[in-house]
Amino acid sequence: MISTRILTRRRLGAAGAQHVPARRRRRTRGFVQVASKVTADRLHLNAFGHAYLGLGAVLICVLFYLALAAQITQSSYEIARLQDQQRQLLAEQDQLRYQEVTQHAPAQVQGAAAQSGMERTAPTKYVSSQPVAIDLKAAIGAPPTDMTPLWQRMMAAVVNRIVGDHPVMAATR
Amino acid sequence: MAAGAFGYRPPGRLERATSTRLRIFTMLVVALLLSSVVWARLAYWQVMRHGQLTQQASAQYREVVELPAMRGAIFDHNMTQLVVNTTVYSAFVSPDQVPAAQRLHVAAALSSVLGVDQNALVSTLSSTRKFAYVKRRFSKDKADALRSMKLPGVGLEEEQQRSYLPGIAPGSTLAANVLGFVKYDGSGQYGIEAQYQKSLGGTPGYISSYRDLANREIVLGSHTHQDPVAGSDLVLSVDANIQYAAEQALADGVKKARAESGSVLIMDPKTGGIVAWADYPSYNANNFNQTPTAAFKDNVLSYVYEPGSVMKVVTLSGAIDKGAIKPSTVINDPGALYIGGYRIADWDGRNHGNINYTYVLEHSLNVGAMKAMQAEGHQAFYSYLQGFGLTQPSGIDVAGENFVPPPAADKMADSQYATTAFGQGVDVNMVQMLAAVNVVANGGKYAPPHVVERIGNKINPVMLQAQRQVISPDAAKQMTRMMEAVVQHGSGFTSRVHGFELDQAGKTGTSQIPVNGKYTLNVWASFVGFLPSDHPRFTMIVVIRKPNVPGSDKDWTLNDGYFTAAPVWQKIAQTMVVSWHITPDHR
Repeated sequence: MISTRILTRRRLGAAGAQHVPARRRRRTRGFVQVASKVTADRLHLNAFGHAYLGLGAVLICVLFYLALAAQITQSSYEIARLQDQQRQLLAEQDQLRYQEVTQHAPAQVQGAAAQSGMERTAPTKYVSSQPVAIDLKAAIGAPPTDMTPLWQRMMAAVVNRIVGDHPVMAATR
Repeated sequence: MAAGAFGYRPPGRLERATSTRLRIFTMLVVALLLSSVVWARLAYWQVMRHGQLTQQASAQYREVVELPAMRGAIFDHNMTQLVVNTTVYSAFVSPDQVPAAQRLHVAAALSSVLGVDQNALVSTLSSTRKFAYVKRRFSKDKADALRSMKLPGVGLEEEQQRSYLPGIAPGSTLAANVLGFVKYDGSGQYGIEAQYQKSLGGTPGYISSYRDLANREIVLGSHTHQDPVAGSDLVLSVDANIQYAAEQALADGVKKARAESGSVLIMDPKTGGIVAWADYPSYNANNFNQTPTAAFKDNVLSYVYEPGSVMKVVTLSGAIDKGAIKPSTVINDPGALYIGGYRIADWDGRNHGNINYTYVLEHSLNVGAMKAMQAEGHQAFYSYLQGFGLTQPSGIDVAGENFVPPPAADKMADSQYATTAFGQGVDVNMVQMLAAVNVVANGGKYAPPHVVERIGNKINPVMLQAQRQVISPDAAKQMTRMMEAVVQHGSGFTSRVHGFELDQAGKTGTSQIPVNGKYTLNVWASFVGFLPSDHPRFTMIVVIRKPNVPGSDKDWTLNDGYFTAAPVWQKIAQTMVVSWHITPDHR
C-alpha cells in the first residue's frame, strides 16, 4: 500500500517538492506514524489489532526493562561482593603496614639489635675536641673566701639570734 | 381470597415504581456511604499519613550508610609513621536466629576462636535477645577464622582503630602523652589527636541506595553517593628515635631517683619545634579503654610547678639586657635577705661574701637573683616575665595546657617579686619554661613552641610568624657564657657531655613543693640546657618530681637537680650528639 500523499509527492517529483510551502511541510507526519500506518495497512489491522500491537510493544518494552534491571541487579551484587573483597584486602594491607612500621620502630630495632648481641655504648672518642682546661672530676667549686668584715658577720649572728628564724619561703638551688 | 384473607393487596404501578426508586435510592445512599468511608479512609492514609508511610516504606528498601572518612596519619620529622589506621572486627550474635540444636556448637566455635566463656555464650544464645556482642575489636585472622566457619546467627562488624608504635616497655606506646588516642567513636582524646581532631578526622561521606530483602545493595533506581574526604596527615617536629631515647633515659632516671614521675621536653632552638616529649610513667594508647583516666594526664603541659633556680636564667638575662647588671658585677651575699618581713636565704644559708653574678648562677644563689631583680626594678622584671612568655599560656598546639597566671604587676608583693626571681611562688608548665630558656639559645628571640610542622600540604602558620626579640643578642651571649660556667664550674657538672665540656650551657633547678600553703621537703628537681652553646642544635629540660634518693632523708640535697635531673639530660644529650652528628663549635 502506498499512501496518496506519497503518490502525490512521487508525482510531483523533486522539482515539485521544492515548491511545497514551508507551512505544509510542518504538517508532514513523522516516520513512526507513517511506518505504523503503512504496517497497519499492509497487515489489514483494525482497531483491536492496533491495541494488541500497542500492548505487544509495551510488553516487549517491559520485558526489556526487566531483563536490563535483572542484569543491573546482578551486576550490583557482583559489585557489592567485590567491594567486600576490597575491604578485606584493605584491612589486610593496613595490618601489613602496621607490621612494617612496627618493624622499623625504635623499640623493635633496639630489641632486634639486643637479640643479635649488639649493644649501644657511650661514645667517647667520636669527636676531636680541644684539650679541656678545667678539672672535670672536681666537684662544685668551693665558695670564695668570705670578704665580709668580721664586725658585720658578728653583728649578723647576734641579730639573727635575737630576731630568730622568720618563715623561709623556700630553699632552692 | 387468600390475599384478601391476609389483607394483601397487589401494589399498583405507581406504588411499585415508588418502592423501586426508594430501594435504588437507599442502595445508592448505602453505596455512597460505604464508598465514602472507603474514600475517606483512603484519603486518610494517602493524604494525612502520607509522610509517615513514605518514611516507613523508605526505611524498608532504602538505606543511608555513612562512609567514614579515613583518619589522617601522623608522621615524625623523618617521615616515620607514628600512628597507623588498622581494621579490627567485632563479633555479634542474633540468638533468635540460632536454632536450639546448634547453640552448643555455635558457642563452642565462638569460644575456641575468640576465647570467650562458653557457658556465658550458651546462656546468651538461649535468651530472647535479638542482638548481643560476643567480643569487640579483635584482629583480622580471628575474623577470617570465624567467617570460614559460617556459623548461623553470627555476624562480623568492621571497625577502624588507631594503632600506635610500641614504647620502651610492653605496657606503653611511643609518645603516648603527646599523641593522645582516638576513642572508638572516632573522637580524638588528649594531645595531638584531640587538638587536631578536625584536620585528622576529615569529613564523612554517605551512600543512599536501595536494598533487597537480604540487605544487598541494588544499583537500580535513585542512588546518591557522597565520597568522604580523608583527614589530613600531620608531620610533627618530633624525632621518633630521640623520643625513644628520651623515654628510656627518663624511665631509668625516675626509677634510680625513686621519684614519683618525670618528664623530658626537647626543642629545636631556632624554630621552637618539639623534638621529644616524654613522660614517665606513661600508658598504652593501644589499650586506652583499660587504662585508668589518671594515667592520661600529661605532666609536661597540664602540670604546673615552681621552676626553682632555672628561673634565675630569666631573671639575670632580663637584668643584663636592661643594663642593670653585668656577669662580672660584684655584689655582697650575706646568705640571706630580709624582704617584705621575710628572711629569704640561699639554699645553703651560708654567707658567700663578695661575689659576681657568674658565681651567683654557677652556685645558684637566691640572694644574687633577688639583688639582680632589685637592680632591674619590679616593673622591668615583670615586663621581662611577659617577654619570656611566663605570664601567658605557651599556646602550643597540644590539647590540655594548664596555666596559672601570676598576679598583675601592681598586685604582687615585694616578697613575691623576690621569690619569683629565683623561681618559687610562681607557677609555670614545662613548655613555658623551656620556651623561656630557649630565648637565650635562640639569640634573644622567642620561638613559639609547636609540635606540628605540616598539616597535609600546608606548613603550620606558627612557623611562618616572625619571632619576637626579648633580649638583645649580646645579652643572650653573655647569659650563654654564664650558663657554660654553670656546667664547667658549678652545679651543672653532672650534665657534661664528652667532647662538649666547654661547649654546653645549662642550669639546675630544685624547688620545694608546697602543700596546703607550706613548703615540704619534697622537691621538683630540674635541669635545662642547650648544646653546642654558640650554635645550639637542641634545648632540653628534664623535670623529676618528688625524687627520693637513698640517703636523702639525711642530706636533702641528694634530691637536687644536679643529682637527679642532670644525669638524665646528659644521657639523652649523648644520644642526640651521636644520632644527629653534632660536633662542638670551634672557637
